[in-house]
Amino acid sequence: MIRSIVGLIIVLTLSAVVISVIPDLSVPVDLPRTGQYYTEHGVEDTGSVNLVTSVVVAYRGLDTLGEVVVLFSASTAVVLILTLIPVGSDPTPPSSIVALTARVLPAAVVLFGAYVITHGHLSPGGGFPGGAIVASAFLLVMLGSSSVPGSSKFLASIESLAGVTFGLLGFWGMMVFGQFLNNLVIPQGSPGKIVSAGIIPLVSLAIGAKVASELSSVFASYRNKGGEA
Amino acid sequence: MTAEVIFYWSLSVTALGLIIIGIWGVLSRKNILRIALAFTLADTGVNLLLVWSGFAPGRSAPIVDSSVTSMVDPLPQALVLTSIVIGVAVAALFVVVGVLAARKSGSSDVRRMKELRW
Repeated sequence: MIRSIVGLIIVLTLSAVVISVIPDLSVPVDLPRTGQYYTEHGVEDTGSVNLVTSVVVAYRGLDTLGEVVVLFSASTAVVLILTLIPVGSDPTPPSSIVALTARVLPAAVVLFGAYVITHGHLSPGGGFPGGAIVASAFLLVMLGSSSVPGSSKFLASIESLAGVTFGLLGFWGMMVFGQFLNNLVIPQGSPGKIVSAGIIPLVSLAIGAKVASELSSVFASYRNKGGEA
Repeated sequence: MTAEVIFYWSLSVTALGLIIIGIWGVLSRKNILRIALAFTLADTGVNLLLVWSGFAPGRSAPIVDSSVTSMVDPLPQALVLTSIVIGVAVAALFVVVGVLAARKSGSSDVRRMKELRW
């Protein structure tokens, strides 16, 4: 009870501070200069129709590399902790509904994930959401079986391969143009086609493989009972 | 006030509300998993606030098309893509550490986790 009241007081004070520093309440008319540049020159600079992808992979590609590193360290920490101190117990057998769904649905889910990854420069999507979708198919398979996944050397090698590919694609741009992750090392093609936007689809593929394998190994380690690992 | 402007402001109110509920939950709940849940709620609110900061009424999604005349700012959306992934990673780590702390103290109540106090 006291905790709730004290928490409420702190939160109300914080929101009073936030409300007092809001400068003016007007609906914006123009974009900020950075956003203005991206919307005007994004397609000719990168060849990607989806400007969010062009910002994520081309303009701010170095930040994305840092993001991949953060995701990698967090998933490594989770897998490491759960390998040393397993928390899993014997999984209960799934109900017949879950078991049937896990047999029918994963193929369609993986197909949708692959679509989202490969069309990241054309429509909303890209490596991160697509990788999460593929990993959710893995989670569905795991929930539909009552066995414990074994050691995941396969996942680890996919993850390493994807990370190395991302880095090498970045250094390719550095060798040719002196810019890390410059995406026009291969011709940009005509914007709007599936083969366009230089190396953006390849980087999306690498990010997607990396995210999918990392999240899958995190899911698998939650069920790790210890003993064999 | 057209419907679009009302929608614009209601987005910011929703985002701030989620952040406030999340912070209040972190401060007032006792179960470590509920604290993790409140934390992800505040995280979602921050993401929504960032997306809202690049949004303006009447503008379309930042995908170039011949029929599109004005687009929203793509930069906050790209930043939020980063933020969502980091949020998932932090939540996974939070849950693991929380489960281990609950194992060690025999309860998921944070008041009984004496190892975390100094």
